[in-house]
Amino acid sequence: MAKSVHLEVITPSKLFYKGDVELVIVRTVSGDEGFMARHSWACKLLIPGELWIQEAGEKDFKVAAVAGGYVDVTDNIVIFTDAAEWASDIDPERARAEKEKAETWLKEGHEDDHEIMLAKIAIAKNLNRMNIASGGGRRRRA
Amino acid sequence: MAANNMRDIKRRMKSVNSMEHITKAMKLVSTAKLRKAKSTFEKTQEYFNYVTESIQAIFNNTDQVPDKYLEGSREIKTTCYIVVTSNRGLCGSFNSNIIKMASAEIAEDPEEPVIVAVGSKGRDFFAKRGYEIASQYMLPPENISFLETRAISRPIVEMYDSGKVDEVILIYTKFINSMEQRPRMVTLLPFAIQNDPDIPKAAMEVEYEPSVEEVFNYLVPKYVEIMVYGAVVESATCEHAARRIAMESATDNANEMLANLSLTYNRTRQAAITNEISEIVGGAEALN
Repeated sequence: MAKSVHLEVITPSKLFYKGDVELVIVRTVSGDEGFMARHSWACKLLIPGELWIQEAGEKDFKVAAVAGGYVDVTDNIVIFTDAAEWASDIDPERARAEKEKAETWLKEGHEDDHEIMLAKIAIAKNLNRMNIASGGGRRRRA
Repeated sequence: MAANNMRDIKRRMKSVNSMEHITKAMKLVSTAKLRKAKSTFEKTQEYFNYVTESIQAIFNNTDQVPDKYLEGSREIKTTCYIVVTSNRGLCGSFNSNIIKMASAEIAEDPEEPVIVAVGSKGRDFFAKRGYEIASQYMLPPENISFLETRAISRPIVEMYDSGKVDEVILIYTKFINSMEQRPRMVTLLPFAIQNDPDIPKAAMEVEYEPSVEEVFNYLVPKYVEIMVYGAVVESATCEHAARRIAMESATDNANEMLANLSLTYNRTRQAAITNEISEIVGGAEALN
């Protein structure tokens, strides 16, 4: 069994996850990256995407959706993110409905740059949610 | 005359009594809300500490930090004040303390201030005195989310980046305990940080991705966002604590008034009865 490392996932409103893990995969600005115990120290920015956690002694991954943030790897790993939710808590129907709402809103043609940006973020966020709810971009290893 | 007086006292007692019911109910509501707000506040505190530590660590570990956000990088002319107050009154001196501190600070500023008002009490105060309110946020602070406070902090960071403001000051109420809250002022930007020789450099080389500057430039605005979020959450906690205390003393006062009134009422009643008896006795005497 691989060595385990302590992981904390922190959002501004709560401690999202805390525990010993074997492997954690996050989406950095340059692509997905996995961290295991005794990784060299690093501080990397994250873009909105998937978070995969393999707990110590477990075979399956826990999947969550995270908004952007950064990961701080020292002797233990800390992930800071603006928001996070577990795959099991995502309602795919609602995500789809929200994405469609934002899309139709965009098609109507609006001018406010800020509002357009918000709508685009909403689409990306819900797309990410839908992806994760259907098992994630990376299929679960058997 | 006595009967008239008695009716007045009775009426007052009734109104004080119903007021007491209201303040008591408000006190209970505030107690419950305070408990909830406090738990959110404590969680935020933890996150906040982590981020400031990270910034400090990065700063100490490299010498390639961009100086845009650092103290002394530019002359300070325009200052942006973020004033965090509540949307509702009836919370003792909570809002007036904040406003007093903010207006004293703004009065000393020779330049035109940029005021960002969070909560309607602060906005009303400064709008009435002819200050221009750059932006305002009136969301109920109890269940504000981090993403919502970003709408407050993002434009501020943008204004700082574009040079519209040179300094950002946050004025909010600090929670000391449920009995005591104090107004507090913090300078968010430029970021005051010193290279502390006491903190040893990290034993290992740290990889930054995409680069040190990018990470640092990400963290500092994040710091502002977190500070603003933290201040809103903390101020909400204080608001409930202040209201709880205000309502508690209002309830106490109402009870005291009720006691006094009922004493006066009983005395008047007694006096009226005595009066009546002596009249009857006097009347009977006269017949004999």
